[in-house]
Amino acid sequence: MNVTLAFYLALSAILFTIGAAGVLLKRNVISMFMCIELMLNAVNLSFVAFSSFFRDVSGQMFVFIVMTVAAAEAAVGLGIIIAIFRNRESLDVDDANILKL
Amino acid sequence: MFTLLFFILFGSIAVGCALAVVIQRNPLYSAISLVGVFLSLACLYVMLAAPFIAAVQVIVYAGAIMVLVIFVIMLLNVDDDEHRIKRPKHMVPAAIVFAIVLLGMTLFMINATRKALYQPPSPTTAAAAPIPGLTANIGEGLFTKYLLPFEITSLLLLMAMVGAMSLARRGALPTGARIVPGSQVLPRHLVEDTAFPDQTAVETDSTAEAAVLLGFPQTTRGNGRNEDSE
Repeated sequence: MNVTLAFYLALSAILFTIGAAGVLLKRNVISMFMCIELMLNAVNLSFVAFSSFFRDVSGQMFVFIVMTVAAAEAAVGLGIIIAIFRNRESLDVDDANILKL
Repeated sequence: MFTLLFFILFGSIAVGCALAVVIQRNPLYSAISLVGVFLSLACLYVMLAAPFIAAVQVIVYAGAIMVLVIFVIMLLNVDDDEHRIKRPKHMVPAAIVFAIVLLGMTLFMINATRKALYQPPSPTTAAAAPIPGLTANIGEGLFTKYLLPFEITSLLLLMAMVGAMSLARRGALPTGARIVPGSQVLPRHLVEDTAFPDQTAVETDSTAEAAVLLGFPQTTRGNGRNEDSE
């Protein structure tokens, strides 16, 4: 039995669902951030799977750009987290419910 | 046969580590589980004949981004685990609806691609069809067909760099600022950069105390008279 495209897409969907559940369930900002990274990686997996099975390089270009966006998101997001923590002394998202620092 | 075996191995590691990311209450353990997800996904990328993406996955994700996350976890020193709080009642049906939608998406994707019998690429058939994931092919695509997205990506990185610096900046005094000698009264927002509009007075007894409050470097001269902020 060969590993077909559907296998990779199913794995990608499972990982994405776990990540989405984590974003909704977690209260800690950093944990939510990591679950978002997990969702990005799940999408990357399906991009690479499509790229590999259709023998087209475009999917891997998308992965490259998604990784760049994830790195930028990590830099800016962690800066925001530190700014929130300095003001509120807490990482709980429910404590940061006003749209100002 | 081996492909299936390795897929099951790395796929189950990825799913297990992903579940651990969500289930762990300590963010540090979540971060380490997430590194496990990244590494097993890198193995899957190698199986998909995408060695460049696999290497970038290990270097950028498992290396750079996770080190940054663990840095922040250590820096903020959150030792208390998450406390369970009571959720609003209407969240439960919303969660069920959301789960059903995601499950439907999954089934749709599997059903739509099940009939597409594309053979998985293997290194032995590399001569028959070019493998798209080789570094040379990616580089060629990046500088010809995808040049504009590549340049926009560099602009995005510049914006992220400037944004991160302006976010992490403390409220600094202008360069060349000097301390007025003697005891003085300072507005609070100069002393604590988190209390910006707060103008209440903070009285100091000596120049040295004012220097400490304002964040000037410690001076060797006792009177601390007119020291540069450098």
